[in-house]
Amino acid sequence: MIYRYTGAALALLLLQGCASDPAPTEQMRLTEQVVEQARTVAAGDTVAELSQAEEKLAEAQAAMAAGAYRTARVQAEQAELDARLAEARVLTLRSQAQLTELNRRIGRLRDQLGAMP
Amino acid sequence: MSPLRVGALALMSLAMAGCAGLGDEHTAELDAARASFQAVKEDPQVLRSAPKDVIRAGESLGRAERLAGYWGSADDVAHYAYLSQRYSEIAREHAKLALDQERAARLELERQRLQLALREAKLVSVQEQNAWLEAQIVNLATAQTDRGLVMTLGDVLFDAGEARLKASANRTVLKLVQFLQLNGRRTVRIEGYSDSSGKREENLALSRARAQTVADALIDLGIDAKRIEVQGLGESFPVAENASAKGRAQNRRVEILFSDEQGRLGATR
Repeated sequence: MIYRYTGAALALLLLQGCASDPAPTEQMRLTEQVVEQARTVAAGDTVAELSQAEEKLAEAQAAMAAGAYRTARVQAEQAELDARLAEARVLTLRSQAQLTELNRRIGRLRDQLGAMP
Repeated sequence: MSPLRVGALALMSLAMAGCAGLGDEHTAELDAARASFQAVKEDPQVLRSAPKDVIRAGESLGRAERLAGYWGSADDVAHYAYLSQRYSEIAREHAKLALDQERAARLELERQRLQLALREAKLVSVQEQNAWLEAQIVNLATAQTDRGLVMTLGDVLFDAGEARLKASANRTVLKLVQFLQLNGRRTVRIEGYSDSSGKREENLALSRARAQTVADALIDLGIDAKRIEVQGLGESFPVAENASAKGRAQNRRVEILFSDEQGRLGATR
């Protein structure tokens, strides 16, 4: 009898646990904002992490609509960081391009100065 | 052994097997997250430019590690390991960006410095050219209008009795070359003069050798030999009296006579 009660209590607890997952409204809002920002920064450049973020955000939105709040939260949290990483990668790539351009210009200036009488 | 006991045992072993299995599954993700965190944590550059991301990577990793001790938390462990991994990567990117920006700032300064130097060099050469030409024209317009534009290289450019140009003459010669390069149709006659001390023939030879030295220097720097005439005039046409040392020094000279724009030179003396 005791076993049966414990079993029932456990099952209840588990169910409750699932049910009590609150709707991650704040996280959804944050993720949407971060993904949008990364999209703006990338400005059409393809970044693998941005596609991942967009896919996960879509999954999170679907899960929200279905009331699967736990899945929604997990996907939204991952999408947020995917988007942040995408943005950071775009910025480093650009800074590297900028460095290359600067070095090219410096080289050209040096050549001209060397050719001066 | 009662059936109940057997059942419990079986359950326990199942649970243990399950846990072990889960544990294995976690390790790959957890290990990757641990390795990434370890790497960023020990990188002073990353710590300096993205401390918050490193802290978050550590917190997520800690959560993943704590959850790994519980049964049925596989998804959560994977999730937090993933977040930790991402935070580490973000921290690394931010550090890279900060480093790049520092380098870019340094390179930008270097670029500006070089650009300024180049601009100045160009300006100086143009200004010098104009100033020099003006100075020559002003100097000569009064005295030698009949012979055209004449530049006088003084005695100081040669050692006494020597036909070799001193190093200090390089600047003057360079300017001359620049002028001739800019005025491609002009030609020059280089005339050597001496004072009246010593033998007439020797003076003539020395004055001609000095004029030739200047001509050679121009030719070496790329001026076509056809544009250069050389003449030695010895002690003729003194510009000062030969009685004083100062006067003699003024008479030891090389004069460079410039043609007009069409390459026409005045008559020889």
